[in-house]
Amino acid sequence: MLRNLLIGQRTISTASRRHFKNKVPEKQKLFQEDDEIPLYLKGGVADALLYRATMILTVGGTAYAIYELAVASFPKKQE
Amino acid sequence: MTHQSHAYHMVKPSPWPLTGALSALLMTSGLAMWFHFHSMTLLMLGLLTNTLTMYQWWRDVTREGTYQGHHTPPVQKGLRYGMILFITSEVFFFAGFFWAFYHSSLAPTPQLGGHWPPTGITPLNPLEVPLLNTSVLLASGVSITWAHHSLMENNRNQMIQALLITILLGLYFTLLQASEYFESPFTISDGIYGSTFFVATGFHGLHVIIGSTFLTICFIRQLMFHFTSKHHFGFEAAAWYWHFVDVVWLFLYVSIYWWGS
Repeated sequence: MLRNLLIGQRTISTASRRHFKNKVPEKQKLFQEDDEIPLYLKGGVADALLYRATMILTVGGTAYAIYELAVASFPKKQE
Repeated sequence: MTHQSHAYHMVKPSPWPLTGALSALLMTSGLAMWFHFHSMTLLMLGLLTNTLTMYQWWRDVTREGTYQGHHTPPVQKGLRYGMILFITSEVFFFAGFFWAFYHSSLAPTPQLGGHWPPTGITPLNPLEVPLLNTSVLLASGVSITWAHHSLMENNRNQMIQALLITILLGLYFTLLQASEYFESPFTISDGIYGSTFFVATGFHGLHVIIGSTFLTICFIRQLMFHFTSKHHFGFEAAAWYWHFVDVVWLFLYVSIYWWGS
């Protein structure tokens, strides 16, 4: 019990059935690899896809917003 | 490979502040398009890109802390200051709405009938669902404290149970409040009573949803063994936020529901 007081510890898994495994050490190794890959891409392919999607939507969306602004700035005259 | 000789976190460049700022542009111009031109495309695009930004930004914070070890004690201290300052700013945000409520209710104008609640308003009975809501949030404050102590004592299963109870109570509050909104005899356009009631309780409800989301993220992180008995600041930040949401409700209940009826 004294050990609990002295050292913060992750619960040693006594998992059974469909319970979760502690994958933190693996992740720590993956994200500490000295490979110059930026953090937001370091997780793998999914990171790159998500990044690309976010960039395309924000930059594209900004272009669309400016277009709508241009359209709204020149209202159609009612005959 | 050079290493830093200090305990602070020099954050690496990230694209998320840019995408966050652009998403804010899309949300605001999207609102204008919705209000004036009946198109929801920009608004939806803005909400989507905002969500994507938040997910990836906070995912990266988790990577920096839990996986890369950047959250040393001085860094954690800074994060604590940050969360406290943020919650303080939210206190001032709500203070404005309480000011508005008291401004109109302490000196009701002749147009309202010279009394509060104004003529024509049937307020909700504070001893019915609003009282239940109060007990639900108070109970959730107890369960989150239980979760915290379980975490500090390394009791994994109890922590998971107590946090789950907290989240379910939050959801219960939200459902009850939604049903109250649906059944309410007055609306937001029913004069100053309706405005102050729905803007104050509405923003509170939004904060309950935000808090419940934060707690759910903590729940997932606990399942994934991210928290230790000594280092779990994400959970503490969520707990502080949750207590703040509870306290705001108590003020709302006493001022608007109880005194205001």
